[in-house]
Amino acid sequence: MMRLNPLRRIKAFPGSEYLLAILLTAVFTLIFLPFRTEGGQDHTVLSLLYLLPVVISSLLWGLGPGALVAVLSFLALNYFFLPPFYTLLVHRTQDLIVLTVFLIVSITIGQLVGRVSKSLSETSARERDAIHLYELIIHLAGLRDEHEIVSALAEQTLIAFHAGRVDVLVESQGSSPANHVRLEDRADQGTATGETPSYITPLQFARGFLGEIKIWRAETALSPAEERLLHTFASQGVLALERVRLSQAASKARVLEESDRFKSSLLSSVSHELRTPLSTIKAAVTSLRSGTVEWDTEARVDLLSAVEEETDHLNLLVGNLLNMSRIEAGALKPERSWNLLADIVSSALERSRQQIESHKIEVDVSPDLPLAPVDYFQIEQVFINLLSNSAKYSPDNSTIGIHASTAGGNQLKVTVQNQSPPVPEEHIERIFDKFYRVTAADRVTGSGLGLSICKGIIEAHGGRIWAQNLDKGFAFNFTLPLEWEGHKPDIGQEGIDE
Amino acid sequence: MTTQPHILVIDDEAQILRALRTILTAKQFKVSVAGRGEEGLALAAAQPPDLIILDLSLPDMDGVEVCARLREWTQVPIIILSVRESERDKVIALDKGADDYLTKPFGIDELLARIRVALRHSAQTLGTQKSQIISAGNVVIDLASHVVTREGQEVKLTATEFNLLAYLAANAGRVLTNQSILSHVWDPAEADRVEYLRVYIRQLRKKLEDDPDHPCIIRNEPGIGYRFILDE
Repeated sequence: MMRLNPLRRIKAFPGSEYLLAILLTAVFTLIFLPFRTEGGQDHTVLSLLYLLPVVISSLLWGLGPGALVAVLSFLALNYFFLPPFYTLLVHRTQDLIVLTVFLIVSITIGQLVGRVSKSLSETSARERDAIHLYELIIHLAGLRDEHEIVSALAEQTLIAFHAGRVDVLVESQGSSPANHVRLEDRADQGTATGETPSYITPLQFARGFLGEIKIWRAETALSPAEERLLHTFASQGVLALERVRLSQAASKARVLEESDRFKSSLLSSVSHELRTPLSTIKAAVTSLRSGTVEWDTEARVDLLSAVEEETDHLNLLVGNLLNMSRIEAGALKPERSWNLLADIVSSALERSRQQIESHKIEVDVSPDLPLAPVDYFQIEQVFINLLSNSAKYSPDNSTIGIHASTAGGNQLKVTVQNQSPPVPEEHIERIFDKFYRVTAADRVTGSGLGLSICKGIIEAHGGRIWAQNLDKGFAFNFTLPLEWEGHKPDIGQEGIDE
Repeated sequence: MTTQPHILVIDDEAQILRALRTILTAKQFKVSVAGRGEEGLALAAAQPPDLIILDLSLPDMDGVEVCARLREWTQVPIIILSVRESERDKVIALDKGADDYLTKPFGIDELLARIRVALRHSAQTLGTQKSQIISAGNVVIDLASHVVTREGQEVKLTATEFNLLAYLAANAGRVLTNQSILSHVWDPAEADRVEYLRVYIRQLRKKLEDDPDHPCIIRNEPGIGYRFILDE
């Protein structure tokens, strides 16, 4: 906008406004000359007309040229239009008064007009600065990424300072990487973009040097107002960068704190969980080894099967711990392949044999269900955990049912239901949380991890898991997608003919 | 077999070595043990064993590599021991020529059963008389004449179904990985198309098994592949 104003270009030659002021007076004088009457009686009108160049030059070029035009007009009026012509002598008193009044009025008007126009242009310059600053703040607000902040700063600087090129450099510091953004005004190829920038301002923050803004532009000098604006830009940029770094540090601290809390609840839960089977094993083995008691065959079998059960329990627990730490680290990636749910269910039942031996199991998972793109072991783990949970909370000799069907053509819906007492509705959402237990921890064994692992695995597969109370019992439901990267297996589910 | 079968155990855990040595010796095997891969390879070369039990995580080298180096010169049966978390290594080891695997922790009955199957399989391989008639449950497979019967009735199989069954039966008792089955029965280029295998196995089970939901002849090896179960 400022660039297009011809008057600013003229300012490039110092004193040129005065030259123009003289020229303007001469032009007006030439225009007025033909209308001069012999007696010079029209000079009162002319003295009014001569106010015109005074106002124009004050308006355009400011106070100095305005005053010059006032004096020149006074002289021209006297010289060309007051009899006797072509002298500076004045015979009549009233002419002298007219001239004097003209001089005073013209200088006064010139000064007033000049001052108004100066303050007007100052006001609009300040308004422009305010708008640029506002734009910058709007663009910086809400940015969460250092590179985006640096880009926004460079872009706004380029616009606000009419620069040919802007470089914003931020040095790397700790975990924050270095950033460098260079923007060039494509419409302005002619601008000097040499090695040395026209202006450099540092990005400085409380703990030292952060980086710098470099500006290249045709008009090399920055006005004091522009310099102030640039410093404000720099400090706004620094504030935005600091805000991002502080919030990153805060969220990192929060994550650490959470993982700390997770680890300590895990440790307390697990150490209890690990010791229980270990005590059983130790007790059984030491009794068998002790020479003081003669164990009959039945007692020996009992003790030994307790040892076997507890080792399986420990093994399951270790598997769950590993899965949990993978979920926590975000490293649980399903290794998908096309699998039959029926195969997975039967190997999960095989592995859970001892835990569910006091329950009746009803399986309704047809081998004719479509192949599902799942990680065999992870889904097997889901079934094992759900079966173990069902067996733990439902009475002995009750039934645990596994049912699977297709839902909507693109999903499998699986239900594992048992005859446990209902879970209060306020707990039902939270049973998949880590370490969440509906019953007091000492009444039921378990790490409190099983269901949250199920949730982690099902969600990693793109499915959903939820629990619900039934009329008689309780059910876990989950869905599994039947498409893998948008595809189904390219072999039919029904019979194959060759 | 009059002489005691010789078993070499390669595992870095002293407790496992001690337990296996005690148990296997009690079961009338001759047992030697090695705690490192190189040591195991040297022992296997010095006193060729009848069977090797190999742990996949060894301090000095990868168990998979031990398996590959053994297969350069011997067809001795190899049973892999590994934890459940290293399925991928297990599959690689099986593809590199291991015969079977067991997941730690394992029951000793299971280990003994695997050892019996592996020794019998290697005895069959050694004897040139390779059986052409294979029976499992009610099913009899005549590999030479391409005839399969169930309870005396002939079962109609498609060409692919028969090829699949023949490959499984010819390797009865061994674990076959999905990839090795696919590349033998179909084509090496199709080794990743597990979906074909799943569908054909289901077809075979429907035609051969008494209860296709609880298969006894073609058994799943979770996440690995399948195993054809012969009559004991």
